[in-house]
Amino acid sequence: VRVAVCVKHAIDEAELKVDNEGKPLLVGAVSKMSTFDKNGVEEALRLRGGSGEVVVFCVGIPDAKKTIREALAMGADRAEHIVCDPTSLDSLATSALLAAAIERSGKFDFVICSEGSSDTYTGQVPPMLAERLGLPYVGYARKVEVSGPKARVERALENSVEVVESPVPMALSVVSEINEPRYPTLIQIMQASKKPTEDLTPEALGPGGKVAGSWVLGMKAQAMERKRVVFEGTAEETAAKLVEALSNEGILPR
Amino acid sequence: LGLFNDEHRVLLREIYEGHREFEEVLAALGGFMDSKIVPDSPKFDLHQKQISGARRELLGHGICQIPFPQEYGGLGLPFGVHSLAMELAGAADASIALSVGIHNTAAEGLFRFGSNSQKDEYLADIISGRSIAAFGLTEPSSGSDAKAMNTKATRKGGEYILNGSKMFITNAGEADVYFVFASTEKGPSSFLVQKGDPGLHAGDDISKLGMRGSRTAEVRFSDCRIPADRMVGDEGKGFDYAKAMLNASRIVMGSICVGIASAAFAKAVAYSKQRKAFGGPISGFQLTREKIADMKTGVTAGRLMCMHASRMREMGLDYSSEASQAKVFATEMSLRVTDSAIQVFGGYGYTSDDVHRHWRDARLLTIGEGTSEVLRMLIARRELAKSS
Repeated sequence: VRVAVCVKHAIDEAELKVDNEGKPLLVGAVSKMSTFDKNGVEEALRLRGGSGEVVVFCVGIPDAKKTIREALAMGADRAEHIVCDPTSLDSLATSALLAAAIERSGKFDFVICSEGSSDTYTGQVPPMLAERLGLPYVGYARKVEVSGPKARVERALENSVEVVESPVPMALSVVSEINEPRYPTLIQIMQASKKPTEDLTPEALGPGGKVAGSWVLGMKAQAMERKRVVFEGTAEETAAKLVEALSNEGILPR
Repeated sequence: LGLFNDEHRVLLREIYEGHREFEEVLAALGGFMDSKIVPDSPKFDLHQKQISGARRELLGHGICQIPFPQEYGGLGLPFGVHSLAMELAGAADASIALSVGIHNTAAEGLFRFGSNSQKDEYLADIISGRSIAAFGLTEPSSGSDAKAMNTKATRKGGEYILNGSKMFITNAGEADVYFVFASTEKGPSSFLVQKGDPGLHAGDDISKLGMRGSRTAEVRFSDCRIPADRMVGDEGKGFDYAKAMLNASRIVMGSICVGIASAAFAKAVAYSKQRKAFGGPISGFQLTREKIADMKTGVTAGRLMCMHASRMREMGLDYSSEASQAKVFATEMSLRVTDSAIQVFGGYGYTSDDVHRHWRDARLLTIGEGTSEVLRMLIARRELAKSS
């Protein structure tokens, strides 16, 4: 089984700071493997099993090698790094670069992305990539069972779970509940740098990756307004008012 | 914020330029402990959960492999990386850090002074965490005055027979291998005693002020018979070996204290921004700010002293004074910082286990692995010898 898995070197949202106007301070911000991509790598390793190959694909700056090495440390076999600054790329361009790199690496049984990146979270790259590769696409997978030439996939939707069947080869996006990503041991981290990683340029992959269809004009942190409701009265009265208010908000069942 | 942060990253770049893999190793270790150890740390303190499972996972993840050579399953990384790793462990959970630190002290002794066959038999298992190790020097009636030890090892044919007892032994009862010291005809010597050896008994867990997740007990030897080839190194050299092992261990204990102080500091800062008094957060008051500034300065200085002693060791220099200085400073600093954290939290600091446990944990380490008094004696002796 050959599996391609796409990973993004994303801003570490836990360490991201914003300025007084709510703009994220991106210069010098710490980056790491996009959180849900670890689930993608884990699922790729599971689908590969004992034999086969997991190839990591990443569009990112030179520092993205850190993320690539983490995927290799988890157990992926080799990697292809499309070296460029992805801030100038939109989903269309990113998916074009990934599709070109995946196509030149031969046939894959599965092409896996996570549902969205933990920084921008557009969730657009996985279906675009599937379309470009001409593969059937199943998004938001929370469980994948393969039997012969078909895969049975549970999709985690807003209020329901949808079960679908797809021929293999196929493309998938996975949600975080699909698995518990492994923690590579320190020895695996040290050994990851010995696994092969090929650097590619966008130019070598053709013109598709240069065509951006959209541009980011600005970015601002979401401000959460608190309701600041104060209940007055005895403990019994305020408890009853609190239950009523939570029920009205739909947090407690009526 | 995670255990491994920008301060560690910058320091690693400063000291080990061009070695990004050190950062990756420590970032991975920090991330592992953030999710696998930090959430359970309050439970370890309250005896609601045993550390054994988390410790096994941490050792399996490779924390002990860092400073040892690859031929024994280690990573072969500099001691400074190990020192920072132990700081992160101290911040994650002091009890686990202590247990792992002592385990590593035994591994260090075996690596430096053991025979090749002893290393082949024990070292890879200890480094990988497949077996747990303990270190036994202190006795019920001798601590700092280690030469006054009463435990005896008598040669009889192909065996040594050990009699006596060792006190306050971390990992006692859980350990598979004990690196212990006993007097022979030629003086203090070191031995490996294995779990299951006849005549080896570990006592009950001793109740402690802090470090409550780690097991501490007396280890008794009653006609404990071990094969003669379990002597480590040369007969009569045990005290020299103990001193060498403790030098490394003192850096580690200092690092653990830097971690303990960092954890308490982070909690105090977060609370000071949230707690309001006289119409504003208490972080706005100068006296709170003085505490925050002094706490942070102490943490940074402690870390740098531990790294300096580590670097001297890496360079093959005599680092016994620097290791002692790092331990004296970092352990006493951690007491001040954890005490200030309680003060910042006020009544909640005095009553909340999750705040005062850091002070209780830190309180051990001006005593264990060389008291501050003995270490000051060593530092002063070295300085006075220089000027004579």
